[in-house]
Amino acid sequence: MRRWRALPGYAWVGFVVAFIYAPILVVIGASVDPGYRISTRSYLVFPPTGFSLRWYASIPSSFWQSLWFSLELAAIVAAAALLIGLPAAFGLVRGRFPGRFAVDALFRAPLQIPVIVTGVAFLQSFYFIASLGGPALQGSLAGLFLGHLFLATPYTIGSIAASLQRFNPRLEEAALTLGASRLRVMWRVTLPMVMPGIYGGLLYAFLVSFTEVTISVFLAGTSTKPFPVMIFESVTSDMEPSVPALSTIVFLGSMLLIYAMQRLVGMEALLRSGGNST
Amino acid sequence: MTARWGLFLLPPLALTLLMLGFTQFIFLKSSVFADLGLGETGTAFTLENYIEAVTDPLYLNGMKLTLELAIGVVALTLVMTYPVAYVLTRMPARTASLLLAAIVCSSFVSVAIKILGMVIIFAGDGLVSRFFRWLGVIETSMQLLGTMTGVVFGYLHLAIGFMVMMLFSVLQTIPVKLEEAAQIHGASRLRVFWRVIIPLSLPGVLNAALIQFNLLMGAFVTATILGGGKVLTFPVLIQRTLVMFNDYGLASALSAVLLVIVLIINIAATAAVTRRRVAA
Repeated sequence: MRRWRALPGYAWVGFVVAFIYAPILVVIGASVDPGYRISTRSYLVFPPTGFSLRWYASIPSSFWQSLWFSLELAAIVAAAALLIGLPAAFGLVRGRFPGRFAVDALFRAPLQIPVIVTGVAFLQSFYFIASLGGPALQGSLAGLFLGHLFLATPYTIGSIAASLQRFNPRLEEAALTLGASRLRVMWRVTLPMVMPGIYGGLLYAFLVSFTEVTISVFLAGTSTKPFPVMIFESVTSDMEPSVPALSTIVFLGSMLLIYAMQRLVGMEALLRSGGNST
Repeated sequence: MTARWGLFLLPPLALTLLMLGFTQFIFLKSSVFADLGLGETGTAFTLENYIEAVTDPLYLNGMKLTLELAIGVVALTLVMTYPVAYVLTRMPARTASLLLAAIVCSSFVSVAIKILGMVIIFAGDGLVSRFFRWLGVIETSMQLLGTMTGVVFGYLHLAIGFMVMMLFSVLQTIPVKLEEAAQIHGASRLRVFWRVIIPLSLPGVLNAALIQFNLLMGAFVTATILGGGKVLTFPVLIQRTLVMFNDYGLASALSAVLLVIVLIINIAATAAVTRRRVAA
């Protein structure tokens, strides 16, 4: 009886997941299609007309380079976002001082500014710095790093703050009473408890950087082109036929990463600390 | 002890202030000078860029279209994902985490790639067209590329995965016991949903909806590819002004207009819900 009542809900979940996956499945299908046409606007077709891995063999080295560049960028952004997010989250959740809400709002400001405005603002600022004789940040790894970090940090702060808020401070008091030093309490009690938030924060920051296109289009250079920009340019101008193959590889890679995360902390713990806490 | 925790905030705060304040100041500054081309700007303060930004029908229509699209798609996304997130929180944990993992994986795929899939689906002889032809709904082909419908679908894909994740984290905080308590007191399932679940999740839902709204107000990739140059949203217009016409002054003024409108909507929506919560 109860099972039957849950059926429409399950069906809806199935429908939405199918909706999310439809374009991805089509891309995977196209990646193994030996004979798809890329002439005119009719692009690729689905379902595939056969099976072959020829597109996987013909991925240009420039695309591999840009994929590698994106992975590096996302890893640096995630690490830096953690370095900023960890003290910020502790300060926000545990600090008691006037103006806490203003500080909280300030940290979240990057989420309120439309991304294209952030892109324009960073581009102009980089030109301004260069015009004063400073480093040329536009088109550099450092420039992209700053732009992505700006976008990713609020998610990391939110994720860590959320797991910190659920944390019972009595546990720390208990450890202190039992004679542990403050440093030891931090290391052996507090940090392990907020670990899911830390992993979640790293994941969100990595994800934001790895999939960001809008800012990257403005800040990328010819030799520093993140992967999504490469794909964007390929889709808007002349289509590189191995793009579906490369996209499939990225998708499979993300599955491995998520599987590892799942084994490490579990999906629920990861999402319980969501990106939009406090 | 507590005062010391606040000190941790100082380095991150200084960095955020610097990145936020400096970049916003520079771009706002360039919006009030005439653009002379080749990166040169005038030295006299002028509101010319703003006057053009708020009087030219091209930009006015662009803003109207962008607001309609963003609000419409956020509403549609909420209706689609709220039940999904709710069912996920009440489902056996193993199945739920498997589905969530699938959704997280899908969000690793860049929008540009999802759009590529959409392009294949929507292309003249693509899947959707052939399906509708097979049904006999249309005679020849169905062109979604370069149409509003295509852009709406693209925006949905942009928002939906992330929305499920955010709503899940909100709904998960509502204990099942509250529902059971309401049911024991005779409330129907629908009534429990309407009077318990929805009000309790409202602040979190609003937060998620605003993040998505801001995201859609600032995205230009989807509209550029799926709109095929025919759906001119505000971000698309900004990008054109910058890249095609190299008019940094006007692009900055347009960005400032977009920023102010988005901020006002954010503040108004947050204030409305806060007041509701205080009243309740």
